[in-house]
Amino acid sequence: MPLLELVNIRLALQEKTILDELSFQVDSGDIIGLLGTSGSGKTSLFRMINLLQSPTQGTVLYRGKDTLTYQPTTLRREIGYVFQKTYLFGDTIKENLIYPYQLLKQEPDFQEITDYLAKANLPQDIITKKINELSGGEQQRIALIRSLLVKPHILLLDEVTASLDEENTLIIEKLILDQHQTRNVTILFISHNTQQAERLAQKILYLAKGRISFYGNKGEFFERGLNNE
Amino acid sequence: MNDLSLAMTFSLVLLALFLSQKNKIGLEKELVVGSIRAVVQLTLIGFVLTYVFNLNNYALTTLLLVLMVYNAATVAAKRGQGIDHILRIAFTALLASLVITLGTLLFFGAIHYQPSEVIPISGMVVGNSMVAAGLVFNSLRDKFQHRRDEVEIKLCLGANAKESSVAIIRETIRTAMLPNVDSMKTLGIVQLPGMMTGLILAGLSPMIAIKYQIMVTFMITGAVAITTFSASYWAYKSFFNELEQLQ
Repeated sequence: MPLLELVNIRLALQEKTILDELSFQVDSGDIIGLLGTSGSGKTSLFRMINLLQSPTQGTVLYRGKDTLTYQPTTLRREIGYVFQKTYLFGDTIKENLIYPYQLLKQEPDFQEITDYLAKANLPQDIITKKINELSGGEQQRIALIRSLLVKPHILLLDEVTASLDEENTLIIEKLILDQHQTRNVTILFISHNTQQAERLAQKILYLAKGRISFYGNKGEFFERGLNNE
Repeated sequence: MNDLSLAMTFSLVLLALFLSQKNKIGLEKELVVGSIRAVVQLTLIGFVLTYVFNLNNYALTTLLLVLMVYNAATVAAKRGQGIDHILRIAFTALLASLVITLGTLLFFGAIHYQPSEVIPISGMVVGNSMVAAGLVFNSLRDKFQHRRDEVEIKLCLGANAKESSVAIIRETIRTAMLPNVDSMKTLGIVQLPGMMTGLILAGLSPMIAIKYQIMVTFMITGAVAITTFSASYWAYKSFFNELEQLQ
């Protein structure tokens, strides 16, 4: 059984069709790069998988069950989603990093937080800092760690390195791959950077005007030169 | 104060009219209409209250209180246009505030269930609650519009609708309660409240007027707190659908 399956999805917002006739499967442990032109519906697709939006037509199945039948909080803890625009809430980094534990009604595991900070190449004392004291790259890494602390099975990453320099981009990519290798987290990431897609992805899903124009192995995609579409 | 003295106080409105015309403010018509409406409305309510006070009927008094709450709810609801079930939420919050506040005053024997006591007291409770409810709706609508990312990020982390909104709810309650708290802090120093001033002008000793004012101050604080909490915790749900998605 695929981990995630979208069946004949259509999404219309204010009578405008955003996604249409969308069907594909994601297997456990996949790393899928989601490419496509601006406005092709990539972010809307993530919002729908995460249940921030419901499809107008069709079904999203997670572990064989319609996502609309899940308790939304349960589903969203299984399918993490990091936005393109970094948003840290409250005053301090600590508030952001203990928030997942509060939601799970658990005591914060500071050793776990320390481990993640080390993997993300962040200093340990960053936890005491105010959110506005951090650079864009540091904020994005904290946002990613915040999502990882919920221990999702699927991670949706919406251009999380779009505004970062190469150094920060590579650190985040390393952290993503680490989650895939150590916890078999299934990764779907949106990127406009084909080099990044080539580095990270196993499969490519290419969206054009809300429809799938390619879904398959990375090698085939780049051989065909479909990235220039 | 005799009727002639009262009529002469209209000279102050004439002063306002003169200033408005001289400085081309354009408020002359509004001032005239406002003054006439104030006189007519207050005279009418004077007759109604005299009738109701003399009748001293429990059912009629209660009906008037419910009407008062309904009218205030429609005004407060205008501040939250676009929020689902806003009139029902406003009415319930204001009614809860009045029932609890009035119930407490009656229970402790501070007032009696007589129209001459219950109606003016309720007017103060409902009036202040109405302003607080309006602030709540305005603040919630504004914050849910401008802080969608924060709410959705929390939802994505597995928060439910309430958990993702709690920061907004707390700030909203603070916003709606602060004017009352600030006003309480400056009582007697910056301002002498209208009710206390009225009692003193009517010839009551300042010490007795102060006792009433303290009761009214506490009563309004309680009423505003009940309204802001209940309105906030009921209204935030209207921003979500059954799948805990922001609408």
